[in-house]
Amino acid sequence: MILDLHNHSIKSDDGRAKVENYCQWIRRREVPIDGFVLTEHRQFDADSDYRALEDSFGILILKGSEVETDYGHVLVFGVNEDLLHAFDFTRLDLPLATVVRESERCGAIAVPCHPGRTRVGMCAHVEERGPVEGVGIIEVLNGGSRGTEDHDAQALAGKHGYAGIGGSDAHIVSHIGRCATRFPRRIKSEEDLVAALREGKYEAVSWT
Amino acid sequence: MAGPSFDDLEVGDELPEFKPDVSMERIRLFVGPSGMAAGRFTDHEAARKEGLPGAIVPGILSAGILAGLIHRWAPGSRIRQIDTVFRAPVLVDSHPLCRSVVTDKDESDRTVEVDLTITNEQGETRVMGTARVEL
Repeated sequence: MILDLHNHSIKSDDGRAKVENYCQWIRRREVPIDGFVLTEHRQFDADSDYRALEDSFGILILKGSEVETDYGHVLVFGVNEDLLHAFDFTRLDLPLATVVRESERCGAIAVPCHPGRTRVGMCAHVEERGPVEGVGIIEVLNGGSRGTEDHDAQALAGKHGYAGIGGSDAHIVSHIGRCATRFPRRIKSEEDLVAALREGKYEAVSWT
Repeated sequence: MAGPSFDDLEVGDELPEFKPDVSMERIRLFVGPSGMAAGRFTDHEAARKEGLPGAIVPGILSAGILAGLIHRWAPGSRIRQIDTVFRAPVLVDSHPLCRSVVTDKDESDRTVEVDLTITNEQGETRVMGTARVEL
């Protein structure tokens, strides 16, 4: 099963894509993914209900978040009520250690994204201040990467033994499905996704 | 000049690509009359002193270039809304590529929504956006 783990809709301040249009695009262009995760910036969109779109298009739509930490941006999968009360998703300076620890405690999982990107990725921060305990997965393929960003992320993963996921980081419709993550198992929910990520059996894939 | 027919368009249809001229000569022609003749737009060395990789194309011009792509494709169309997000600078004297693709159709008002991108020579997205176009 292939899931694109990093996408933004119009719920994000810089997102320009409607979720229905993502679905329409995936089917029309035969994008080879089975579903995608909406990781809106600094928030968790608990209100939107995409079940009708899932049924209509036969595409799995899950929800996560992209929060901002002192080590750069971090995807959080498996967000639940406990985690929403554990830290303030709107903050720009969350300690990564807190996000990782609280995610683990609440049954979620935190994954630093686009690590090779200047300022908002963790590579430079790790070089300067060392790794953060508890990080086990990072995004090694990001659809918006420039230059050596993905290469740097993969080098960081290799050095510290991190597993790697892929995500498009789409903000417009036509950018979905540029990168994704292939799982050997079927995933039907956010809880399944967290379990699959913990198992460690997956690979980042790219079509760019 | 005949433009595309709304009825014939489908989600996924690509507009003709466009390679804009962003040479220093052309940029100076734009920034002078528009009152934007700052060194960051007109002088590579001055731009580098500001921490930029070189002189950059003004964002408002990038948006205009993308609007031009739409009107080359559909000369009689009306752009109801255009919205751009600047991810990284477009460099003066580079060779960017502008692309657009239909992502939605609204039968009720006969408009289409298109994605818009400007990429550099490496295919990296520098500017992206959307527009709603009445045909």
